[in-house]
Amino acid sequence: MAASTAATTGDERRAEPEATVLRADDVAVHFGGVKAVDGVSITLTAGRIFGVLGPNGSGKSTLLAALTRLVPLTRGRLEFQGKPYDTVRPHTIAARGVARTFQTVRILPGRTVFDNVALGAESAGRPGSIGRAGKAERGRVRQRVRTAIERTGLSGKERHRPDELSYGYQRRVEIARAIASEPTLLLLDEPTAGMNRQERDDITGLLDDLRGEGLTQLLIEHDVQMMVEACDHLFAMNFGELIADGEPESVVRHPAVQEAYLGTQGRAHA
Amino acid sequence: MTDWYFSHIVLVQSTLTTLLLALSVQVPLRAGVFSFAGVGCYGIGGYLAAIGMVHYGLSTASAILLAAAAGGIAAYALGLLIQRLTGLYLAMATVAFTLIIAVVVVNGGDLTGGAAGLFGALGTLDTGHLLAVVAVVVVALTFTEIGPLGRRVEAVREDPELASAMGIDVARYRRATFAVSGVLGGLSGSMTVLLRSTVTPDDINFHLVVLALTIIIVGGSRSWIGAFVGTVIFVWMPEVLAFVGEWEDVVYGVLVAAAAVYLPGGVTGAAMDGYRRYRRKRREAQSSPDAPPPQPAAAAAGGDR
Repeated sequence: MAASTAATTGDERRAEPEATVLRADDVAVHFGGVKAVDGVSITLTAGRIFGVLGPNGSGKSTLLAALTRLVPLTRGRLEFQGKPYDTVRPHTIAARGVARTFQTVRILPGRTVFDNVALGAESAGRPGSIGRAGKAERGRVRQRVRTAIERTGLSGKERHRPDELSYGYQRRVEIARAIASEPTLLLLDEPTAGMNRQERDDITGLLDDLRGEGLTQLLIEHDVQMMVEACDHLFAMNFGELIADGEPESVVRHPAVQEAYLGTQGRAHA
Repeated sequence: MTDWYFSHIVLVQSTLTTLLLALSVQVPLRAGVFSFAGVGCYGIGGYLAAIGMVHYGLSTASAILLAAAAGGIAAYALGLLIQRLTGLYLAMATVAFTLIIAVVVVNGGDLTGGAAGLFGALGTLDTGHLLAVVAVVVVALTFTEIGPLGRRVEAVREDPELASAMGIDVARYRRATFAVSGVLGGLSGSMTVLLRSTVTPDDINFHLVVLALTIIIVGGSRSWIGAFVGTVIFVWMPEVLAFVGEWEDVVYGVLVAAAAVYLPGGVTGAAMDGYRRYRRKRREAQSSPDAPPPQPAAAAAGGDR
């Protein structure tokens, strides 16, 4: 992983320390009779890493989709930097300063690493635009792409296509694409899935650096140890509901969380 | 050369107008929209140009501009109407649009000439005019294949949800492709009619949908170059295959089936894949200091003797 010495040019988009970046109030997403997310309320403050823990099917990814408006809310309210956004169209989210990665790698197969990262860099501030950006903006995009590529350890692979990269590197492309938009809030859905220990440490180090620069992050992961090490605050979910939240150590020791992961009998043996 | 040109002028001009028709289907397809609205707009453009010249004495340029504008507006309106449809359902709706245009012109009375069509709409078009229009279209479309716009169009096609997360208004892009498709269809139809001087309902039927689709399947759907290659193949094939006589349709069918099975990206897609493999091997050879220099393709193909 390259050292993160490059200056962040998106400082102006970062929120004041401890300011509320995102507030979700009583958010519910129901698919017919299935309550994928039900009555979840979370608040994310600036410059911290938040994590969402939970077993498979607990509603973590659906919560992320709800926060990015990719699925409609059954009920609830969403606020980003004090402004409600629960009725806006999904493509306007990026221009507000929200970037995300997906649970499975989703990058353009026919495009190079540079192109894929540029897609993210171009998303900042141009909601739905079809027209051609100005020369100055194109220069800024190139700079953002180079910085994101360097920070995610993709230097030298700019001209590679996704099918020439390992799964771990494809994950990095997703992360590079997300940070290239210089977001206010970064949502990461299992960013280290499929990575080895070294690669995981690299990504954790990058997220830590980004936190140091004031970037608010919401992480979804299965790796409990990584979540405890990386996050400042954890939310635990099961069956679409929030079952615990607070300091990472206290959340993973919470009886409801242990039961969700290990079951009642498992907890007795633990 | 001059003799060859004048003896093949119809094929040369037909290549250019058919390319515009193929592009009218390829443009929406590149944004993931399976639409044949451009073929319907070919009919609208062809008839409007003929009506404009025969009944209202429009100039050639005015008739073509009217046809292109009407095609764009009609396709955009259709796009608004059916924007919630996707895949085959969308394709069927746009095929139905084309067939409706054919029915309307049959029943259009004196205005459209009914089943007999309209005659005497001979424009002052030559190959140079066609080349100029095609050149403008190709340059404009090139910008939708490269750079930021190319990336966004590809994202809309490959993964609309990802595109949306990247700030791209997917619905707006799709509607835009309908309008562009309509303009291209209108241009193609009007110029074809003004070259032939006649238009009949039979000219805008289902066979045009099949023609445009097969051109893209064989040539390639990702770039205007694919549409051009496919157009050259299918416009010139009857000339080249004249010696097979009545077996021409069989050769045509085998060619399309073989391309669909063995060349999923069409001729240009296969060529691009081959070029990328070559560059990748070259890059790997260069990055490995111990690796032997890459063998010339001919020697590698020849193997040990």
